[in-house]
Amino acid sequence: MVIIDLMRLMGTLADGATGEITVASAAEQELAEKWCARSGNTVLTVDVDGSGAGTLTVRRGRPPDPLAVLGVDRMPGARLWMYTNFHCNLACDYCCVASSPQTPRRELGADRIARLAREAADWGVHEVFLTGGEPFLLPDIGAIVRSCAALLPTTVLTNAMVFRGRGLRELESIPRDNVALQISLDSATPHLHDAHRGQGSWTKAVAGIRLALGLGFRVRVAATVDAPAPGQLSAFHDFLDDLGIARDDQVVRPIAHEGVAEAGVVLTRASLVPEITVTADGVYWHPVAATDEDALVTRRIEPLTPALDEISRAFADQWARATSAAQLFPCA
Amino acid sequence: MMSDPLIVGAVAYTPNVVPIWEGIRAYFNESDDPGAAMDFVLYSNYGRLVTSLIGGHIDIAWNTNLAYVRTVMQTNGHCIALAQRDTDVGFTTVFVARSGSGLTGPGAIAGKRLALGSADSAHAAILPLYYLARAGVPESDMQVIRFDTDIGKHGDTGRSELDAVEAVLAGEADVAAIGSSTWDAMGREELMPGTLDVVWRTDGYCHCMFTALDTLPGERYTPWVDKLLAMDWDNHEHRKILELEGLRHWVSPHLDGYKPLFAAVEEQGIDPRW
Repeated sequence: MVIIDLMRLMGTLADGATGEITVASAAEQELAEKWCARSGNTVLTVDVDGSGAGTLTVRRGRPPDPLAVLGVDRMPGARLWMYTNFHCNLACDYCCVASSPQTPRRELGADRIARLAREAADWGVHEVFLTGGEPFLLPDIGAIVRSCAALLPTTVLTNAMVFRGRGLRELESIPRDNVALQISLDSATPHLHDAHRGQGSWTKAVAGIRLALGLGFRVRVAATVDAPAPGQLSAFHDFLDDLGIARDDQVVRPIAHEGVAEAGVVLTRASLVPEITVTADGVYWHPVAATDEDALVTRRIEPLTPALDEISRAFADQWARATSAAQLFPCA
Repeated sequence: MMSDPLIVGAVAYTPNVVPIWEGIRAYFNESDDPGAAMDFVLYSNYGRLVTSLIGGHIDIAWNTNLAYVRTVMQTNGHCIALAQRDTDVGFTTVFVARSGSGLTGPGAIAGKRLALGSADSAHAAILPLYYLARAGVPESDMQVIRFDTDIGKHGDTGRSELDAVEAVLAGEADVAAIGSSTWDAMGREELMPGTLDVVWRTDGYCHCMFTALDTLPGERYTPWVDKLLAMDWDNHEHRKILELEGLRHWVSPHLDGYKPLFAAVEEQGIDPRW
């Protein structure tokens, strides 16, 4: 009797835990689904053969409310990432999108970025992130940032190494209100940072942080760190404290096994809470997988609304059916 | 957390008891009233819970009806009932048989094989016999088959009732006595058409009760009880706790609902301690 089997199973599970029952027929499957719906439990997966016999994976209780778990600012659709370009002055050995000086530029273009930001704001996006590549290699990055910041809070990711000449003028042209700079720095001392990002890059990045702070920008510092040694992170935070970076603006994330990274955290659509990402190649599930075909949502970039709707729907379904909750990957 | 929170004891009859009580504790400890602060201790059986309450190791016990009755008996009435679930009031025992059996009413159970849950389950063993006897069907008129598969938990796991139902479905018993909450959880007639029919249902009685000794000062338990009764079904955070514990509202004690069990315990010679 499938209902008795379900009741016995639920008695062994805490809220949110999962288990399996077998069903012998389509009628038993239907009865199990009715019982779960009636009792506030959830059928997660159905694995049955042509005769209807097989296994159901069920969860005790309903899925948690993603809004309560993630918060309004991390719900799918709250953030829009745009890869302004893919070329970069650096060739970091863990870059999740394989950027380098030789990488094709694949620019989104200032006009399209402005249109996308407008459409996103109208749809209900809360915040824009501009990344690359190195955005400050673009001669019109100032105008790009201004067009976004006029609509939504905007963060620009940069290695802060090209703030001179034209790059400096573009930086100075960017409004301080509604804009944050997220600068990459991996360690409190040059060795680890330079080992991944190139000799002398740490010194230039720190100089860039000081320059940006001096110009009155809000600066967030993001480190990409694999297996930190004891004391490494506390030294890093102490160093950033001394620079004047607020603790909430000190981000540490693991290396993702994407792009040119030979190792790192393995990420899939099912394991990631989406952060909608637009590149010149299409719309992707998350910025950390913006060259990963498995994370491609659509090649069609404009209009953006169908992709925003589709990702929200897909996430809601994934959240309801997942045997474990998707995780936030802190790109920012 | 206050330095001197009330300590509430409960029995861990399923892993789900842990998130239930963590949720309840969070509700009390976020209170504006520090006098309502609490922590909880989980026991493996109701005998140990009652012993700990009487021994002063905990301030309040979340008792089954039998544990409440035993607390009253062991303390000679020097205990106080604090609150219970709305679903603890008007609880019934449901007698079910295979569909098509044609059995209706208590008289039809006479001479039949009656499957009961664990002997210390008030709703699936003690009170079924009590109410049948009142209806003119003494135990001696039936073949009683007991499933003592969750002794110590007072039937809370539901396991012994499911065993009794399976015995009926397998043709090894004619009628099973189960709690109305188990019958509801099974889906009642809505999910059981052609499988099980209700033969008879007892009058309503009371089930669980928060219980303290009468030595616990009112100023210690009153803020806690007030906060308990203030849980609001329309509040999303409160509702999560209420749904897990199986109620809509906490209510003040309905002591009349324990009279049948007091009588049954005396009549059947149920041990006042274990």
